[in-house]
Amino acid sequence: MQKHFHLQPQKMIAVFFVLALMVSMIPSGNLTAGAQGPLTDGMVCTNGPSFTLTSKSGYIGTPDGNVVYMWGFSSGSDPYQYPGPVLCVTQGDTVTIVVHNTLNRKISLIFPGQENVLADGQPDGPEFSGSNLVSLARTAAASGGTVTYSFVAQRPGTYIYQSGTETDIQVPMGLFGALVVRPAGHPDWMYDSASTAFDPNREYITLLSEVDPALSTAMERNRTFKARNYHPRYWFINGRGLPDTLAPNFASWLPSQPYGGLVRITPYHPTLNPLPAAVRYLSVGSIDYPFHPHGNNVRVVGRDGNLLASPTLDDLAYDKYSIPVGPGQAWDTLFTWQDPEAYSLDNPVPVTFPNILDLFFGTFFSGSPYLGSQGALPVGTTVQNQCGEFYHIAHNHALYQLTSWGAVMTGMGTYTRIDPPTGCP
Amino acid sequence: MKPNQYFGRMSRRDFLKLAGGGLLAVSGMGLLRKAISPDSIAFAQDEAPDKVFAATDGWIYLPPLPTASPYHPDDLSPDPSLFTTYMFGFRDVTGMTDDQILNQKMKAQHTAPMFWMSEGQQFRLELRNLGLQMRPDLTDAHTVHFHGFKNAIPFFDGEPSSSVSVPMNRSFTYIYRPHDPGTYMFHCHVEDVEHVQMGMTGLVFVRPSQGDHFVFNDGDGSTAFDREFGMMLSEMWVDSHWADSHIQLPEWSDYNPDFSMMNGRVYPDTIAPNGQGYDANGDLIAPDGNPSLQYQPISSLVNCNAGEKVLLRFANLGFMQDSMTLEGIQMHVVGKDATFLRNGSTDNSYLTNTIVIGAGESFDAIFTAPAHSGVGAYDTYLLYNRNFSRSHSIGDFGAGKQMTEIRVHPAGTLPAQTEPNT
Repeated sequence: MQKHFHLQPQKMIAVFFVLALMVSMIPSGNLTAGAQGPLTDGMVCTNGPSFTLTSKSGYIGTPDGNVVYMWGFSSGSDPYQYPGPVLCVTQGDTVTIVVHNTLNRKISLIFPGQENVLADGQPDGPEFSGSNLVSLARTAAASGGTVTYSFVAQRPGTYIYQSGTETDIQVPMGLFGALVVRPAGHPDWMYDSASTAFDPNREYITLLSEVDPALSTAMERNRTFKARNYHPRYWFINGRGLPDTLAPNFASWLPSQPYGGLVRITPYHPTLNPLPAAVRYLSVGSIDYPFHPHGNNVRVVGRDGNLLASPTLDDLAYDKYSIPVGPGQAWDTLFTWQDPEAYSLDNPVPVTFPNILDLFFGTFFSGSPYLGSQGALPVGTTVQNQCGEFYHIAHNHALYQLTSWGAVMTGMGTYTRIDPPTGCP
Repeated sequence: MKPNQYFGRMSRRDFLKLAGGGLLAVSGMGLLRKAISPDSIAFAQDEAPDKVFAATDGWIYLPPLPTASPYHPDDLSPDPSLFTTYMFGFRDVTGMTDDQILNQKMKAQHTAPMFWMSEGQQFRLELRNLGLQMRPDLTDAHTVHFHGFKNAIPFFDGEPSSSVSVPMNRSFTYIYRPHDPGTYMFHCHVEDVEHVQMGMTGLVFVRPSQGDHFVFNDGDGSTAFDREFGMMLSEMWVDSHWADSHIQLPEWSDYNPDFSMMNGRVYPDTIAPNGQGYDANGDLIAPDGNPSLQYQPISSLVNCNAGEKVLLRFANLGFMQDSMTLEGIQMHVVGKDATFLRNGSTDNSYLTNTIVIGAGESFDAIFTAPAHSGVGAYDTYLLYNRNFSRSHSIGDFGAGKQMTEIRVHPAGTLPAQTEPNT
């Protein structure tokens, strides 16, 4: 019923520049934002093991054109961002996180999946006021308080850090982020097993979240909010809704939403491109998100910081086309794609390509069935395809969450971009 | 791999028909001539589609809601005594004349026709878009997205932004070369939240090369079955269906389905018989004694003999989690998302009474029918979504629910199954 794909003209232009930018800035191996400049796609690590997280308020943009008041953590004195930085450490590191709180309420952090967490040097635990539980972890006082958490990162995997105070408000308001623990000596493995090796140029995180703008408005106006009225209207990947998920990391037009959601690969090849991409799925939402990447199954190799292996180290990894990422869960997956038919100009698809005026063409379609080739398009078609690369959507299959307060084909979705084996020229 | 193994089928009628179309296409393609040589097109034209699906709108029946709703039954129903709910859907029009096919506008069914293919055998699915009769203001395209097909190319994936979609009065043929047996699903991916909710959803599965009575190439017979039943799970939020028939837009973040269905029906309609094919006009013939189920032709009634192995192929294209419970019989889950639950020599299959199925997931579960009690013609077991709040009841337990019956007859009573869901 609605228009084909809700890209406003400005966003069309933006996406075009994104794609142009991507070609010129293919990541070269170091996934850390730093000396080599920001990555256009891929997981952006903030490297530890010592971190300073400052809680702040700010605003994010949503695909329907709305602007929503939010909270979040930023590294040190960085400006407001949503979600918080991806904290990257190595197994065995003693991780120290100093929390500075600029919000006008008490906050804290919990680290589900970590053990023996210390707060200000003491064993961390729930905070009580008299006999009333007020926080799941030691708090930083409102408006300027500080608390320091530390723990030893025991197990490789993907984890969440999030507020442990007023969790029904503070987590959906944005006080969360991801923690990635790499196996010692193997930064290019997801777990301590060669079966989880991935291409270090192809490491991605897909952190799923949701927002209720009524909650945001209540917080912005210092009003109370009844948790039973909670009703999310926006669904995000790495803090952005489709089509913003396709924009590069640190896109200037998304100043407080620095992390993109595009997964970018080239076809599997046994010798030239043998390693899969790593995609780390995480959710801070309130219900399961049944995430469905088109194009191929994912290989699930780990869950919640545990390698999928038996006690005798039999490989228990499995393939799946829908990943039901539950609240607080992490699914560590590997992803590859190849065309087993090897369709090409010389080995064409066994079907008549209809007259181009007899089809609708998608904005990411090259006009050709073949990877790396481009075909004719009807006059006037706006195409966001550079060199015949493929795109496969990856989205939440609870499709009402692939919307943004009513705007369809936005929300919790992104694309997997498959470049020709030699890349885009 | 070996593309040539897929070529084979040919019919003279289609050769002639497509040759004409090919000439038109080539003359109109201009730059594309470079991309697809005329010779290869001529070669491709030799094959007829294995299936032809039509996409259009229509009306189906759902029972009264426990509390009155202005949206149900829909006041625009062409015959309120028979049909309550406006929908979009597919129809199987394979083998029909063009006149018969065009007659099917506003005669879609829910769920879509179930179909299957064999591992290693090319399958051609032609989609024809007949348009939406209730909504002449809409010019929606349609597609078929084969959900879960491994290593798909976008051209045959049906996601309209990264591929092509089929405008009204046009057609497109999808080519599938299935390498991975198991249970999948398909749906239109155009404006997907709307077209999926409106009913353009169905079940498709791939038979393994090991044989038609196995789920996977297990090598040891552990996935053998005697009978099989597809259990396509879907939902209907009547507000959004009413909105579509009344040229309104629903607020999708308020999604709250009124009906959770099995193969497009709710209990006790789920146990009514299958439809009876189509008439001279191509229109569906309603299940015997159930005129209101004319456009919901797929039965979920499971009839089996004691001792038989029965395969249930579950797929969920609702937006909610379903928790399907088989009361009194254990299910052996051998596959998930068209993946055999075995890794090398490690058996990951398991026994359960309840399978939780998220949106877009599939499960292959086999149960062994217990011995007959000796009382009555058959023993009845219930298969239902134990998330009771998700399916409304109009009075007695069961009516309106996502539920069906499994009837176990004494050994040797029923002849061998000839088709799934019979």
